[in-house]
Amino acid sequence: MSWRHDPELDDVLQDDELRRLATLLSAAERAEPPVDDAFRSGLRRQLMNQAWSMSEGRDSWWRRAFAPPGLAWLGAAAGVVLIASVVTYMTLQPTGGLTRVVVSSSMDGTTGVALQQPILVSFNQQMDHTSTQAAVQITPATTVTFSWESNTLAVQPTNGNLAPNTQYQVTIGPGARTAAGQQLATPATITFVTQPPPAPTPTPSPVPTPTTGPALGERELAPLGGTAAAPVQWSADSTSVYFVNAKGALDVVSAKGGAVTVIAPDGVTSPAVSPAGDRLAYIRGGKIEVLTFAAGSTAELAPAATPTVLGWAKDKLVWATAGGIYTQGDQAAVQLAQLPSTGTVSVLSFSPDGAHVAYQRDQALMVLDLGSGKSAALGQAGAGFLGWSPDGAHLMYSSGDSITVSDPLGNATATLPSGEPSWSAQDAILLGSDTELSQVRPDGSGASRLSNGTYHAPQWAPDGSTFAFFRGGQLWVAIAPPMPAQPSLLDQAATVVSSFMQARLKGQAADAASFLDAGGQQAYTTGGLNLTISGDPSFSRYYILTQEVTGAEPDTARFVVRLVLTHGKIDVSDFEETLTLVRDPASNKLLIDQASAGTHRDLGKGAEVVGVLVTPDTIQVTFDSDLDPATIAGGIVILDATGKQLEASSTYSNKTVTIGGLALKPGAQYRIVVLTTVRDVLGHNVAAEYDLELIGPVAVNHGNGRLSGAPATASPSPSPSPAPGATPAG
Amino acid sequence: MSDPSRDEERELVEHAKRDPRQFGALYDRHFQQIYRFVYSRVREQTAAEDVTSEVFMKALKAMPRYQDTGRPFAAWLYQIAVNAIADRYRTQRPAQPLDDFHDLSVAGPALEDLAAHRDEIRRVWALVENLPPQQRTALVLKFQEDMKIEDIAVAMGKSAGAVKLLIHRGVSKLRQDADELRPVE
Repeated sequence: MSWRHDPELDDVLQDDELRRLATLLSAAERAEPPVDDAFRSGLRRQLMNQAWSMSEGRDSWWRRAFAPPGLAWLGAAAGVVLIASVVTYMTLQPTGGLTRVVVSSSMDGTTGVALQQPILVSFNQQMDHTSTQAAVQITPATTVTFSWESNTLAVQPTNGNLAPNTQYQVTIGPGARTAAGQQLATPATITFVTQPPPAPTPTPSPVPTPTTGPALGERELAPLGGTAAAPVQWSADSTSVYFVNAKGALDVVSAKGGAVTVIAPDGVTSPAVSPAGDRLAYIRGGKIEVLTFAAGSTAELAPAATPTVLGWAKDKLVWATAGGIYTQGDQAAVQLAQLPSTGTVSVLSFSPDGAHVAYQRDQALMVLDLGSGKSAALGQAGAGFLGWSPDGAHLMYSSGDSITVSDPLGNATATLPSGEPSWSAQDAILLGSDTELSQVRPDGSGASRLSNGTYHAPQWAPDGSTFAFFRGGQLWVAIAPPMPAQPSLLDQAATVVSSFMQARLKGQAADAASFLDAGGQQAYTTGGLNLTISGDPSFSRYYILTQEVTGAEPDTARFVVRLVLTHGKIDVSDFEETLTLVRDPASNKLLIDQASAGTHRDLGKGAEVVGVLVTPDTIQVTFDSDLDPATIAGGIVILDATGKQLEASSTYSNKTVTIGGLALKPGAQYRIVVLTTVRDVLGHNVAAEYDLELIGPVAVNHGNGRLSGAPATASPSPSPSPAPGATPAG
Repeated sequence: MSDPSRDEERELVEHAKRDPRQFGALYDRHFQQIYRFVYSRVREQTAAEDVTSEVFMKALKAMPRYQDTGRPFAAWLYQIAVNAIADRYRTQRPAQPLDDFHDLSVAGPALEDLAAHRDEIRRVWALVENLPPQQRTALVLKFQEDMKIEDIAVAMGKSAGAVKLLIHRGVSKLRQDADELRPVE
């Protein structure tokens, strides 16, 4: 290595070995240590505040930010409407200096302003702080502190936060003076709208884990000797895989790998493990063989007609022949149903509960109800059967480039992307193909790609995490990640309400109507409500005042939405619509089933309620203004359906009154009443009594998105583990 | 330490002396190197942040009294940093091992020599940690921060001759320690 010559060291290190050491020391590249950008920018801010204090000879920005509050003057609503431009020019008295002061704010005209931030007002020249602060007027009434950074004034609500869902109007009144002492002639107003309050409970964040290849823990289990003849069967404890290889041999192998044990050497079709997991039946040589795991013995059934497909109805064997469907009787086979005698009929599959049979009749895919003996057609001609849900309540068939999920009567409930599907007990559907593996919920939501590669005929194990599949003439197993958590019922309903309101905001009545069921359509036609709202003041924004889950069978949610009407830039009035959303049994979608509207209320006349959070034991009422705490007790009351006031304790903090100690009954009617005795910090009373009807919330928000008819819990009952492969049958 | 835009820096310094609110530009310019130096000495992020804050806050407050001696502004910041670190660790030594700080991705040697070379660099820098504090600081400023001896002298509040002596003694001590540690191959 060459000596990087540093002339400075010539007379310091004269010895070659010392120079070599110096070279080594210099050779280490300077690694950059971890820097927290927040620290870097925070320190800069601190330094700038300190610098400002030094130059102005005042306390630091931060010290002043925590100083005792000053009170902003609440302007009369009429006075606030004067100026309405993004950047406002205030003309100075023509006595010299700069001729114009430019007042601006990046927040002016914006919506969705974060609640935890100061209101920033910038001036194009140095202002006299005292007079400028005194000239600040804020509606709604808000207690604030002031601080300056250079020529920018930060107005910070004393309690830390802005009110949610609120239009703020911040006016710099005519009393403001420049540092040169010149008074301003014209006020300037900045308006902005704040964002909704944070969600009361965090929505579980989806954990998509798209991976490529081996991240699924894929393992090669056994050779198939060609293309497998049937989907694999899993033991009930998910430890063993039964499969028919290309030569028709029925084999079993542990899901962990190891030796393959032959159960039957050839000619096997239609293997099926019993629901209890204690037996394995299959067709071989025109007969049915039943292997009982515990005993290790194989029994043989020889039906009169050749069986083609078999399955299980609980602990009873069922099978199809060319003419009908049979089961075991005490003495002999009993016919359960006949198959059509015309056309080319071939039975495809028994449902896992043994209640239905899928069969092909010419080009039509049919499902036969073994209870009633009636058949229903599925989809269009050419539909191909793809599989059952584990409970047998739904099945999947191919239709063009997609998969249709349907009940056994042929009522389609969802459409899925194409692929080779397998439906797990946890309601995740794997979709295999030549090129990728994906996962989707039975309602078509949550589709995500799990891996790239070949995954043919994936088959879930009962545990819902392991699955088997075929690739390159081999049997493989792998583990699929769990589906991301379902959005809660309230989240789903909020999405519907948002889409509905957005469509109305854009005047798209047809789009909005798509979120209504028959009851909802009636409310917005003959019920006196209007989907589109026109005129002046104009419908400019909406927000959700409160939301509750009010029913579980079917899923029901109740939303109160505020529709705000604006004249020019200023919100002048609002009214409420109460929407009840119910899950539609046919489509599984949440639709608006009932709607009603309240009366118009003028804004800017005292404190307004902007958010209500209801839980069984607590109601939080958030106002847009800072309240006079002395007026809260007795000013905000909860009444039951009979008008009786509930006993409750209330606390006040950060514009929010929390009424605790309640025991709201699910489904019962209540009413929040805000009396006109409630005052804001400037002494303005609430202009008119405010009433809000509530329903006692359902305590448990199960938040499932399951298909109707599916049981609430779908885990299979655990079965005794079969001993795989003890006895090869002869 | 050489700076191709000394005039520009002089101007920034003059501005900041007159109006402390102009100090931000100097902070932006020197934060990274000062933080890196401090981190290399205290080897812990929270401590490095504390010391770095102290350095720049002291510098800002002392800005009106800063005298341009013809040396880079950074030398002055290093001086504040050296003192701040000394204050903080007057009685204790940095706790973290040194190994992971110096990036050993050196350029130059043939691949087959690289591993051995890296190992040697690591060992030599580990030995630096055992040097007396003044020698250690001089070597770090010279070899890690690539500073000129005159600037190190400013940073350490010593004469250039004293810094040269510290470097000479430091490197000589390294040779002696390395000989003792050298594995038999």
